[in-house]
Amino acid sequence: MSNATKVTRRALFVPALLLLGACCSSKPIARVSPQPAKPSSQQATAASASEAAASSSAINAVNLGDIFFEFDRANLTSESEAQLKKNADWMAVNKTRSITIEGHCDERGTAEYNMALGERRAESAKSGMKSLGVDPARMSTVSFGEEKPFDSGHNEEAWAKNRRDHFIAK
Amino acid sequence: MRSTRISFTTLCIMLLVMLVMPLTLKAEETGEYIAIRKEGASRIAIVLDNLAASEAMQAEWARSLNATIKGGLDFTGLFNLMPAPLNIRNAQDGTLNLASIASVGGDIYAGGSVTKKMGKPMLEMHVSDVSGKPLLDRTYSGEETQLRDMGLRFCADLVELLTGKRSVFGSKIVFVSNRTGYKEVYMCDFDGNNVVQLTSSKSISLTPSISHDGTYLAWTDYTSGKPDLHIRNLATGLKASVGKQGVSISPAWRPGTNTCATTLSFEGGQNIYLIRADGSVERRLTSGGEINVSPTFSPDGSKMAFVSTRQGGPQIFIQDLSGGQARRLTYSGSYNTQPSWSPGGDKILYSSMQKSGEINIFTISIDGSGLLQLTSGAKNNEYPSWSPDGSMIVFSSNRDGRRKLYVMNADGTNQRPLLRMEGEQQQPSWSVSK
Repeated sequence: MSNATKVTRRALFVPALLLLGACCSSKPIARVSPQPAKPSSQQATAASASEAAASSSAINAVNLGDIFFEFDRANLTSESEAQLKKNADWMAVNKTRSITIEGHCDERGTAEYNMALGERRAESAKSGMKSLGVDPARMSTVSFGEEKPFDSGHNEEAWAKNRRDHFIAK
Repeated sequence: MRSTRISFTTLCIMLLVMLVMPLTLKAEETGEYIAIRKEGASRIAIVLDNLAASEAMQAEWARSLNATIKGGLDFTGLFNLMPAPLNIRNAQDGTLNLASIASVGGDIYAGGSVTKKMGKPMLEMHVSDVSGKPLLDRTYSGEETQLRDMGLRFCADLVELLTGKRSVFGSKIVFVSNRTGYKEVYMCDFDGNNVVQLTSSKSISLTPSISHDGTYLAWTDYTSGKPDLHIRNLATGLKASVGKQGVSISPAWRPGTNTCATTLSFEGGQNIYLIRADGSVERRLTSGGEINVSPTFSPDGSKMAFVSTRQGGPQIFIQDLSGGQARRLTYSGSYNTQPSWSPGGDKILYSSMQKSGEINIFTISIDGSGLLQLTSGAKNNEYPSWSPDGSMIVFSSNRDGRRKLYVMNADGTNQRPLLRMEGEQQQPSWSVSK
């Protein structure tokens, strides 16, 4: 590796860390919980509302993570269980929000079978979240089969990323 | 032991390459090789004469009809088509020179003329065998816009005369293409001509199926945000949909009825239901906690083949609609899906994902015997569908990189692309047209 490359990489290291840190830093939860502020003026309301929305979407992006599956399987792995716990925690805090769980498959196998498999994956997560105390009325499922891959590559690395449930807050 | 004897390593590499190269070459040529071997073996040799036309206008019609007839007969894969030799006509009286037909190895002679009658084209066709015995003398007429239909009617008549079946002329293929950037349903003629876009959901439209009398189109549609069954009357445009909770997957019409089977999950589990053309549920056909998808019916509508994971990985089962247990059909391979019941009622086509990851098309008899592999060494070959007369198969293949539609004869020979179209095409379903 050339000196220039080494220097560049080192130089970018710190900003990269900072960026990561910014994304992950959790703002105090109290600020996001729905406490209607007493607006002194319309502008203040709008400002605090958009601020709350911005920080709540920052929390969404972090605390509703995807879970992944083995080929042709819809059962939850231990990593999945751990991620579902985090998702359930978020739902416990954001009591008025509901979610859609999307089930996806990799491109192998046939589209019709994958549609069914995707649904089973979504239902599997819903069931897992339910046993963690989340009200099923707050969760809907939909299967996209192999129709909406996350990674359009044609190798196991891409396929592993596509065998997933994706969680969307509504 | 690390050897520094370069010549030995080079030798090894050379040997390896020499061994591997021919294997890869052969794999690519497999489809072509089979076709060539069969070529001429059991094909009927037809001397196809250019149509006679007197004036300029009819010459244009003749050119168009020549192309339609030659293309149509060629498409069936049943014939060796030969142009008429120079001495096809006797110089003295212009009659047919039978000896010239025999001299080029022809079994049959077909020719005719195009004239204008009351402003419209009239096609007169004459077919005889090499001994001069007349086999077919027929006139076809229609509007100028119906020239292609006229030519294809002759093709169907000729094929029926020689084989007893009218072949694929007039039939249609529905399929899915993402040409517009969205997956939509399209229809084309049996030979890939006249592509028409049937849906514009600007969402995802999948697995189209046409009822056996050509009246209804059913498909899975994501317009509402989830996969719903949509049904459209192709003649009247009237629509119905089944928007139940959960998924709706891969509809298939039941012959002799206006009901289609599809997988729904609104009662928990993924089971196959019979749905009427108005979208109402007639009854449930499978019950279980496993995946049941991809129904296909026997030609008399009494039995259904489908995919189920009730015994592990996806396999094909057959169920009598009047009741009783489903019987497992496929035991070879661990991932068998997409069954299609032959119009003759005796075979089932399906796709099988092999250990290598390749997907190939197989055919098997209803009793489980006669397993035959139809594609190989050509990446993924899926969603096979029989032509309504059972002579040909349409399927999707990504052998050339992207998913395109291919056709082949029912024995797996003569595999070639069906049509040229942007984007990817998949999920073809062959049926009669109204």
